[in-house]
Amino acid sequence: MPNLFTLVLQITVILAVCRLTGSLFRRFHQPRVVGEMFAGILLGPSVLGWMAPQVSAYLFPASSLGFLNALSQVGVVIFMFLVGLGIDPKKLKHQSHAAVLVSHVSITAPFVLASLLALYLYPRLSDASVSFTNFALFMGAAMSVTAFPVLARILTERDMMKSTLGNIAIACAAVDDVTGWCILAYIVVLIRAAHQTTSIWVTLGGIVLFAAVMIYGVRFLLRGLERTFHKYGEISENRMAFLLLLALASALCTERLGIHLLFGSFLMGAIMPKEPKFVRYVLDRFETITITLLLPLFFAFTGLRTNIGLLSGPSMWFYCTLIILVATGGKLGGSTIAGWLSGMPLRDAAGLGTLMNTRGLMELVILNIGLDIKVISPALFSMMVLMALFTTFMTTPVLELICPDQALRPAPQKISVAEVSFQEIA
Amino acid sequence: MSGTNRKFVFAYAFLVVLPLLGLAGILKSGRHLQAPASIDGLWSLQLDSGQLDSLPCGKVLAAIPNQEILISQSGNSFVLSFPGAPKITASGALDGTTLRASLNDMGASKESGCADGQPFTMLATVDRRADSRILAGKFSPTKCPTCASVDFQAERQAAASPKGGH
Repeated sequence: MPNLFTLVLQITVILAVCRLTGSLFRRFHQPRVVGEMFAGILLGPSVLGWMAPQVSAYLFPASSLGFLNALSQVGVVIFMFLVGLGIDPKKLKHQSHAAVLVSHVSITAPFVLASLLALYLYPRLSDASVSFTNFALFMGAAMSVTAFPVLARILTERDMMKSTLGNIAIACAAVDDVTGWCILAYIVVLIRAAHQTTSIWVTLGGIVLFAAVMIYGVRFLLRGLERTFHKYGEISENRMAFLLLLALASALCTERLGIHLLFGSFLMGAIMPKEPKFVRYVLDRFETITITLLLPLFFAFTGLRTNIGLLSGPSMWFYCTLIILVATGGKLGGSTIAGWLSGMPLRDAAGLGTLMNTRGLMELVILNIGLDIKVISPALFSMMVLMALFTTFMTTPVLELICPDQALRPAPQKISVAEVSFQEIA
Repeated sequence: MSGTNRKFVFAYAFLVVLPLLGLAGILKSGRHLQAPASIDGLWSLQLDSGQLDSLPCGKVLAAIPNQEILISQSGNSFVLSFPGAPKITASGALDGTTLRASLNDMGASKESGCADGQPFTMLATVDRRADSRILAGKFSPTKCPTCASVDFQAERQAAASPKGGH
């Protein structure tokens, strides 16, 4: 049984520290999420555990972390549903040449560079129980992700949603996220299948069948919800509970199929009707509790797993610097070159590259999966968390430098769904 | 095909298709790489507690409940802890199949004769297989070169969660 006092104390401390650091970072024009990610590091072994080990042991005894993790994972399951809700697959079909090229290059460039880096890091930071292919593919997937929600928030804050740059960036980020999650699903299936008695073909068949049921069956049900919303201007509590149940059931199905809970909730969000008012209504019902209560627990749990003390010695810091350089070079550099070759002015292309380099919370979600399935080691996990923090932190100041407000040009496109989404996430 | 389309196709081939072919090459060449032996996980420790009692600081190891070692590995370096005695930790290095670590007992007291810390040095070997299960070696009192070492053997417990295996 969980020690309720310890759990409530942990939640209280985490929420207080997250709100404080989030507000502090906002003063420096950083999205709140960067401050909350930083708060997680502060509460973990890297800072609190190092400076006050007794306080850390009292607040976060090892025996209590399972409950904190469970709560935080529930938060991430709902969060992934909201991320999927913000992505409109129909809009991705009608992208310009520039968006198609940038989105694909912003995946392949960091992916290939990360795999190259894996050749160097595998003998140094992995072990014989992990195959090189899985290690390299995971590094590629982790480095090619873009934090769609954080990006949406930065664009909204800078009034860039209606600009050409903002439109391309948000479309590319959505493509990156969907692709990144598909690659990650593939890796997780491969790894888990090696330890299960069920054939990988049964697993793959199950996934295809599940996706078909969701897309052609459950989506039809969800349209009924949208119609009800339009008729009455609201959705009853029972129907909202049903929606939540569907998201959780979908998460359970993907977990049972051998992928991960998060893929199911993401898919459920992605197949939801995308009419902006309906999306806003659903987000309003789920956002507050998820973003103000459950996600900070996830940041804290990630921070508790991040131990910068493992980066002992110059060689470890060299690997960490290399990871940050490769991640930034692949994502920022690749997207900039692709944007420029697509006919964008170099400044806009560089701005787009900077936006695509935002990894934020999505990176942390992927890294936690990697550590859970043990495809990355604790030291590499810590380095990648630092990379996620660094690349997210650098977005706003670099963007300010490259694309000052007067350089933004409005485009005539309609407001994307993402504009009404994630107002609070970052 | 219009000029814009041709430019797009060339750019796409150069920036997307070509790197993907390169990725296939990288994955193929990486298969020959060898990573350090795997030691990560929970190990059941078997040692002679009678032998330990006669050694300075021996009580520190003898008092470990469940006699389990948890190894958290990152390449050639690892952190060793005892789930039953969270104050005892060690960081070490893996050289081929040989593990070296210095146990730092943060809870050491003068009564146990270990107030100076680092009561033991661990030297062990592991078989070089992806699923190596046996770790064998010895604990030697750090501050007593003339004292005898205590031999131990540890068996890896089945992993609770899957690893990024082959």
